[in-house]
Amino acid sequence: MSTPILEARELRVTYGGHVALDIPHLALAPGELVGVVGANGAGKSTLVNALLGWSRGAPAVSGSVRLAGEEIGALPPHARVARGLALVPEGGAVFMRLSVAENLAAATPPAGAAGRAHDEAQIEALFPRLRERRHHMASALSGGERQMLAIARALRLGPSALLLDEPSIGLAPRLVTDVLRAVRGLVDQHLSVLLVEQNVRAAIAVVDRLILLERGRILAQGPVAAMRDDPRILEAYLGEAAA
Amino acid sequence: MNLVQQLINGIVLGHGYALIAVGWTVLLGVARLVNFGHGQIYMLAAFVTWWAVAGLGLPYPVAILAAMLAGVLIGLLMQAAMLRLTFAQDLVSIMIVTLGFGHMMRGIAGLVFGGHPQVLETPLSYIDFEIAGAWVTAQDLAVVLVGIAAFALLHFGLERGTLGRTARMVAEDPKLAQLAGIDVKRVYFAVFAFEGAAVALAAAMVAPRTPILTSIGFEEVIVTFVVVVLGGIGSVAGSYAAGLGLGIFTALFGGFVSPAYATTAAFGVLIVVLVLRPSGLAMRAGGR
Amino acid sequence: MAGRLAPFLAVPLAILVFLLPGWLGGVHGAFTVIAIMAIAAYGLDIVVSDLGEVSLAHTVFFAAGAYATGLLATRLGANGWLTLAGALAAGTLIALVLGLITLALREFVFSLVTYAATVVAAAVAHNWDVLGGSDGVSGIPTLDLPLGPLRLGATNDVQLWPFAFGLLLLTLYAVRQFRRSRLGAMAMMVHLNPRLATMSGIDVRRVRLGVFVLSAPFSAVAGWLYAYQRAYVGPDLFETYFLVLMLTAVVLVGRRRLLAPLIGTALIIGQERFLSFGGDINAIILGGALVLALAVLPGGLDGLFRRAFARTAQPAPHSDRRPVAQS
Repeated sequence: MSTPILEARELRVTYGGHVALDIPHLALAPGELVGVVGANGAGKSTLVNALLGWSRGAPAVSGSVRLAGEEIGALPPHARVARGLALVPEGGAVFMRLSVAENLAAATPPAGAAGRAHDEAQIEALFPRLRERRHHMASALSGGERQMLAIARALRLGPSALLLDEPSIGLAPRLVTDVLRAVRGLVDQHLSVLLVEQNVRAAIAVVDRLILLERGRILAQGPVAAMRDDPRILEAYLGEAAA
Repeated sequence: MNLVQQLINGIVLGHGYALIAVGWTVLLGVARLVNFGHGQIYMLAAFVTWWAVAGLGLPYPVAILAAMLAGVLIGLLMQAAMLRLTFAQDLVSIMIVTLGFGHMMRGIAGLVFGGHPQVLETPLSYIDFEIAGAWVTAQDLAVVLVGIAAFALLHFGLERGTLGRTARMVAEDPKLAQLAGIDVKRVYFAVFAFEGAAVALAAAMVAPRTPILTSIGFEEVIVTFVVVVLGGIGSVAGSYAAGLGLGIFTALFGGFVSPAYATTAAFGVLIVVLVLRPSGLAMRAGGR
Repeated sequence: MAGRLAPFLAVPLAILVFLLPGWLGGVHGAFTVIAIMAIAAYGLDIVVSDLGEVSLAHTVFFAAGAYATGLLATRLGANGWLTLAGALAAGTLIALVLGLITLALREFVFSLVTYAATVVAAAVAHNWDVLGGSDGVSGIPTLDLPLGPLRLGATNDVQLWPFAFGLLLLTLYAVRQFRRSRLGAMAMMVHLNPRLATMSGIDVRRVRLGVFVLSAPFSAVAGWLYAYQRAYVGPDLFETYFLVLMLTAVVLVGRRRLLAPLIGTALIIGQERFLSFGGDINAIILGGALVLALAVLPGGLDGLFRRAFARTAQPAPHSDRRPVAQS
């Protein structure tokens, strides 16, 4: 197996003494789409945020994170972004007071990533809606459009690995399929993606591998074909149905 | 005194006020930060300018630069101490900490520059002009010109271009800005350095009009509040207009009603505005 | 454990503190000032620690008490009871007006407007002849409190100390009772979760106004005693020194600890009186203490000691923490 593009070891997050996440080892291979599933509060968002060393709160994060073999676990978030790790946080976070074009321009690809970065034409091909809305303020976009803009902004950064936190949340079922299909398309063009998804059914349809989290720990992981019929995954389905 | 003279006084005063407040405008507009030690940086910078001119015999423009450098250093030091509070956006604690810094600066100024009032003489204060029957000095004109220049630069810098976009991103959501690859810490340091430099420039320009004492600075903070709040938080053009308006108001109130209560009256207006329209200061202070 | 024993420990401790200035060689002046400034700081403390707002107007209540005392005593020859009533009335009234004005304001804007009030008050004190202008009011007679046939009073610091000490004990008791009262509990709820408080049927505005107005008499009564202690009041009461002193006293040791403001005040005034390096360096120390307490030591000295202590001993259960509704 080739070197993982993204690899974490002994990744731990604690909030005031309470362990929110404890991951001994996690790896993402180049060109792989890995889904992270689990119930609410299982630590899915905590995991992707910790990989970038980013948070809205003030947790204590420890552990090693390697991007293409380079240790980035001690760097501040913006420096990890500059090295090629991008995060689309939950809820399609965009700058509401900036226009669509400005939101995209705001994410200038770091030096060295220019080759990987999506240019405007590629972004527009991927999300045609954004071209039509170019000069609108982000606050005027629908939830789905904001999500597309958030993903597009991350792609402008030319990441070698992308962390996607619940891109389907709050979207209409048809849009969920559209967005996840777009993600699959990116992976087929050799982007590596760690996808946090509450919608297990939709995730199973696109991912290569699944990681099931519970209370901040990895409960099970494996290729999607093998995991599909795992009773614990079925339980997650049920959780989804109950939610 | 006649109306024209008061109006011209007001315009000069107003540009001075706007210049004094420009640092706060950026501080609050870009970084959602406050600095209650603002007045004491003004005071220290006025002393540094005086000392550079009277003590070291440096030319006035060089003295201005020296004061600005001192302002930048103070700003960086303050921000370094407050970095944790800044990231937590704990505005109330920041406010108290900056009050503490102000108190320290007063002690430092007393220690270094002594308790005697000093007067800063600049070559420009000796040149008089007559405009429409009213007298102004070249120093007054310089205050107006520097005020206009500072605001024009800031307006073009902040409202357009990469710098302005970065500023607006950090102002809206510093955490999200990190995800766009922006080093937010550097932005915070830059903003505080600018605040220090701007108020120091204002001090170097405006202080020659008044005696320099360790106790000055109180009034400058008040003026800054009024300008920043009335101008609309973070609005560059608004601050300029508010500064000018306040200057003219103060000159007219002082000339025709009561000079002692001019600032108080301006502050009364501010209280009314804040109470009637608290949303004018709406910010994410501690909220989510 | 401490909660049960505290009342029994408090009596000998209070007697000890009362006798301390005599044993230390007659430093009653310093102790009186510590008591006075601590009382003033307690007014600010219940607003900062319980209500969660930072008022910058408590120097106004302090000064109002002092000015009312000075004016009534010199102009009308009023005795101590009358000046006390005047001081309390002046402080409370100003707090009521300011409280009503700032009713809808929170956090930073609240602080800004209270600071504005201080600035306006300072300008008025400097310029209004009735208040003595920048000269202030001097020649305040010594404290006299006629009580039937008795003539209580104080002509010097040694005699003033029992009054200051008594007032301090009264203040401590009042603050303790406030924290156990319904208003105190509601203030904490409003502080920690205003939305939940509203949903629990608490009138947030009334609680805020109530606590704010209630806090003023503490600072005002401190001003009353300060006027007698110094025999002079002037616009210097509005200087940032008093503001920074009160704020530092409140945040230095720790929030919502009954003795914290007293210890904080004692540390500050103690340094100024017994370890003074001159006014300028004292100002640097005081300002530096405020910066340190908030920027470097969240939780104050108390938090620092706790962390240091927790490393060597088992952390003790917090017996003094009142149950607060969690969302």
